[in-house]
Amino acid sequence: MAKDIIVGTARSSAPGRTKGTLKIAETPDGSPCDIPVVILQGEKEGPTLWLHGCVHGNEYCGTYVIHEFLRGLDHRSLAGSVVALPVLNKLGFQAKQRMSPYEGFHGGDLNRQFPGNLGGTQTQQMAHAIYEPLKRHADVLVDFHTALTPDVRWALFPNAGGKVGALSEKVARAFGFNSTLPAPMHILAGSAMMTAAKDGIASYLVECGGRNRSFTDETVLDAAERLRNVARALGILEGKVTDYGSLTYFSDFDWVTAGEGGLFQRSVRCGERIEKGSVIGRYYDVWGNPRGEAKAPNAGVVLAIHSGPIMAVGETLIHIGLNPREA
Amino acid sequence: MTTTIEIGSLRADKPGRFEGTLPVGALPDGAPVELPVVVLRGPKDGPVLWIHGCVHGNEYCTTFAIHEFLRSVEPSSLQGTVVALPILNLTAFRIHKRMSPFEGMNNGDLNRCFPGNEKGGFTERTGHVVYRALKRYATHLVDSHTAYTADTSWALYADTGGEVSRVGRLMAEAFGHEHTLPTPVGTLQGSAMMTAAGDGIPSFLFEAGGIDDSFTPERVKDVAERLRNLSRAIGLLAGEVKSYGRLTTFSNFHWATSPHGGIFRPTVKCGNTVAEDEPIGSYYDLFGDERVVARAPASGIVLAIHPGPIIPQGDVLIHIGLNPTQS
Repeated sequence: MAKDIIVGTARSSAPGRTKGTLKIAETPDGSPCDIPVVILQGEKEGPTLWLHGCVHGNEYCGTYVIHEFLRGLDHRSLAGSVVALPVLNKLGFQAKQRMSPYEGFHGGDLNRQFPGNLGGTQTQQMAHAIYEPLKRHADVLVDFHTALTPDVRWALFPNAGGKVGALSEKVARAFGFNSTLPAPMHILAGSAMMTAAKDGIASYLVECGGRNRSFTDETVLDAAERLRNVARALGILEGKVTDYGSLTYFSDFDWVTAGEGGLFQRSVRCGERIEKGSVIGRYYDVWGNPRGEAKAPNAGVVLAIHSGPIMAVGETLIHIGLNPREA
Repeated sequence: MTTTIEIGSLRADKPGRFEGTLPVGALPDGAPVELPVVVLRGPKDGPVLWIHGCVHGNEYCTTFAIHEFLRSVEPSSLQGTVVALPILNLTAFRIHKRMSPFEGMNNGDLNRCFPGNEKGGFTERTGHVVYRALKRYATHLVDSHTAYTADTSWALYADTGGEVSRVGRLMAEAFGHEHTLPTPVGTLQGSAMMTAAGDGIPSFLFEAGGIDDSFTPERVKDVAERLRNLSRAIGLLAGEVKSYGRLTTFSNFHWATSPHGGIFRPTVKCGNTVAEDEPIGSYYDLFGDERVVARAPASGIVLAIHPGPIIPQGDVLIHIGLNPTQS
């Protein structure tokens, strides 16, 4: 029995591949901001996997991964459906910015605005337009992000317990990024992941590659294959599920901003274990003199680190996964 | 010692390392814009090598390379002087942009503004203040740039005839980036290189690495060593000049802008040989479907290529060195 999956102008009510757009905002010249939607509905029944990327406009790697995944997918081989929105924050995407250039006051981080607010800021209205069909159709949500550098590879799922928590963890193991945070339910309020989990939708958030052009073709191909493995684990695609082995779980993360500005060169890589107080990078002044060392405020695993070459006070310096344990 | 070198707050009247600042403008709040200046002065007189970087504000690889070079040279080992301005376009440097944010109306490309204009726009005034000191002291100019991607490696020298051409070629060979353009009169007017050459100063410009964080620590070390080799070649540092092999020179370059906008994935890399009309990449729409193939506008060697992930119409797509000849 076919489902009716309607997202903006993309209307799928029978097996096949459908394209359309979802209007999420209007720009100052009155033109609509229409974001791309692709729906693949299989011949057989099954769950609906909702994918989205570029929640932050300059995290292009996610768009590339979703496109790569879609290009390799034939709706006839699906049991269930895939709904893909590869570019959520199109206004940020166009401007190579994290947030919409029209966002001036507050509420500009789209991944803190879900479920959105029809009477709110531009970004809150965008979140509303996106979340309404997401909540109606998605059984499983996979959200794609990047951090700063090409070597970023970690993930989160909501530690929600029950069916939602169990299915989310299943997705995490099928995607198989070693560094994984079972996210405590009080953090990342307003993210699509946490909002969906509270509405009973299993969810998973991937961080792979860096912003702008800081990602490789290999990362894109690898993530698309991991996404196919998620689809296999959910029964949407046929085939044996690859076992990526045990994961490293964290209790939480520590998100540290820079207390200094200047030229900066990191000395650790993503995935590295660090001790509290160990050197993670060095600051230089504009004449080229060393100014000081940046030190890890906590022990753990490096999830993200600032790429330099320049740093302003208050920029995100390092993101550390705390209390790593094999799981 | 024959001359005291005075640049802004810096006064080098004896051997050693000196640091200071050169005021080039004022911000809207009245705060001065002060460029960092470093002078390394040897115990004996000799050539004055002027080197500057971040003429385009987001070409940080150049600043890092100049800093590395400066840290690696002991002033007492010099026969002559190094004058280094590692960040010319400081207001653009701060905000990850090529051009100054205070430039709205005039010629914002600092490397088309030389010799500058005392009564001109923000950037022209910077050009004037910098060039006045450059012309007064420099016997050799090295200007440093990046293109888009980490694999960028080429160079230019002013080929305007006579001693300027001979010494320019000497610097190009000692720096040793194989792909080199002997730049004819009439090309790159307003660049520091061609302006200085017009005033009889042999001038060399290298392109190494990409914008923003698109460069590696290895590249920074490699450029610093090439700068030391160039210093040996002009008699500033003692020691044998290393041979990097023969140069491949061009008759000119072709700079093509993008006829389309969209998601762009290049299929060629810097240093590749391309034939006219050969595919160099593809444009995709937001659904992930291929729209059109980009083709080489001329035959030659790829000097720079847009890496994507997105491109607006009219952005620089490819830079091709024409008629490569081993010489």
